[in-house]
Amino acid sequence: MTAPNQDAPAPAEQSREVIGVSGLGKRFGSVAALQDVSFSVHQGEFVAVMGPSGSGKTTLLNILSLLDTPTEGSYRLDGIETAHLSEKEQVIIRREKIGLVFQQFHLIPYLNAVENLMLAQHYHSVADRDEAVEALARVGLAERATHLPSQLSGGEQQRVCIARALINAPALILADEPTGNLDADNEALVMGLLESLRDEGRTIVLVTHNPELGDRTGRVIRLQHGKRVA
Amino acid sequence: MAAAKSTAPRRSAGRGRLGMFLHLILRSLTARNGRLGIALAAITVGAAVVSSLTNLYFDISIKMSEELRAFGANVIISPHKTEQKKAGSDRGVDAARLTEALHALPKDKLLGGSPFLYGLVRLDLANAVLVGVDFPGLRTISPYWQVQGSWVSANFDERNAMVGRRLAESMELTVGKTVTITNADRTIRHPVTVRGIIDTGDAEDDQIFVNLSLAEKILNLPGKADFMMASVVLQANEADIVTARLGAEFPDLDIRPIRKISQADGQILEKIQGLMALVAGVILVITTLCVNATLTAMVAERTPQIGLQKAIGASNRDIVVQFLSETAVIAVVATALGLGFGFLLAQALGQAVFSAWVTFRPIVIPLTLFLSLAAALAASILPVRGAIRIAPARVLRGE
Repeated sequence: MTAPNQDAPAPAEQSREVIGVSGLGKRFGSVAALQDVSFSVHQGEFVAVMGPSGSGKTTLLNILSLLDTPTEGSYRLDGIETAHLSEKEQVIIRREKIGLVFQQFHLIPYLNAVENLMLAQHYHSVADRDEAVEALARVGLAERATHLPSQLSGGEQQRVCIARALINAPALILADEPTGNLDADNEALVMGLLESLRDEGRTIVLVTHNPELGDRTGRVIRLQHGKRVA
Repeated sequence: MAAAKSTAPRRSAGRGRLGMFLHLILRSLTARNGRLGIALAAITVGAAVVSSLTNLYFDISIKMSEELRAFGANVIISPHKTEQKKAGSDRGVDAARLTEALHALPKDKLLGGSPFLYGLVRLDLANAVLVGVDFPGLRTISPYWQVQGSWVSANFDERNAMVGRRLAESMELTVGKTVTITNADRTIRHPVTVRGIIDTGDAEDDQIFVNLSLAEKILNLPGKADFMMASVVLQANEADIVTARLGAEFPDLDIRPIRKISQADGQILEKIQGLMALVAGVILVITTLCVNATLTAMVAERTPQIGLQKAIGASNRDIVVQFLSETAVIAVVATALGLGFGFLLAQALGQAVFSAWVTFRPIVIPLTLFLSLAAALAASILPVRGAIRIAPARVLRGE
């Protein structure tokens, strides 16, 4: 996967702010899961969010992916202030601008690999099988297009997830512990894929507690007890 | 929502969108055969009961009316009351006029009828009431009469008679014996053979029946009859409508339904139809509850997938449309099966209750489809609300 993707942004756009977080906080009752977190991520950056369990990584990722809302602060995504978006607007922005990769893969079990990609296309605009097969080819799974998730290995399922995250050419890819359930070989394969996406100019935020993976990104944001410490 | 520059692909709208949606519905349904089977079976049973009862509902008034004809005549044609008070040779009404009125009743609904002419005669040593009738017609309007021996079969037979049970006992008459009928002024003596002995448990048990032509001669009332009774297959309030129309056509005659019988028709029919509606309603409620339980279990089972669909861009509307479409597909397939089973069930009930086949009514199809869809969609309200409430963030981290 060395050839630049034609959907990737042009070099002139690489300084554009994709994520702008300021004074972000999230409380669950009396518990503060996030406190006063601020940072920016620009176009083409590959950033890791690291921290021990309970540090607020997943809460931050849920807010960045518009699956949750902050109780304090502001979050700008690709120029859009998200604080006052309706649920419907959040859905539209999520399908247009965000690609999600999960630790537990999360594929629809009764749809095969290419159909899982086509479902994301369907919610975005319209399903296009050729384009979906092409996306699978980019992660090396063209020949597995008609296999059900249960017929794929963990590494293959995660590559399908990455292809699905890319299929609508989002402004931001959010990956939550994408190698957490993979063996070393597949971890290397998936990280290689994410790095090649960075090389194409994609903006990626990777949540991990693995320092080695964090070191392979361009920047690390460290959280502890819900606060940014680095 | 401020606009932002998007790098998203612009696919041609309309290409494959419906196809993908239908594909998703099909895969989703076929992926869960077990639960799908339960929902399908529940709606099929509901649709079968509703369609069979609906078929019976539309047929039952005809079948019931036919059954109730076993209780005797339900229409009486007589002269007006002022005419009935006449005596002697002026009494009675033109029998041909009564027959004309009888034949003006709807031919496809008329089972039969008989004129009646009454008079007092002497039978050997005792007095008795002589009744002139049309025996074939009398037999059709009196199917419940118990007859020892046999009916007089022809309406021109003047040699045979039928005698009521109590009269026969008092005169020691048996089938085959001859009795002489003598008129009031003893100018006519006519021997007849007892062909059958009638047991009705009513006034007929004290009477002797002969054909009308013979009675007219013995009573010296040529061409006359007192009234005509008819048995007509009429549903509920049809009796009033038909007799009113006939009354206008024959203003010289009093034509009316026999209330006791026609009201019994209507009351029994109303009760049975009410019972059928109650059974159909209860079955629909049970179906709704069963489908609701199944769909609730399906939503619980699919919670991670619904969460994922929302996370990758499905709106609440997408989820609602998908669930309702799946439910509608199940309901339509189950209704098609239910219509088939329902028709068979209706035939079984028709044979068991009325010994007759039940006619298929096309109205049953849209009615059953509507009720099945309504029950299925009502059953899906709570499960769909549950699906909308699923929070993808919680589901995707395995909570």
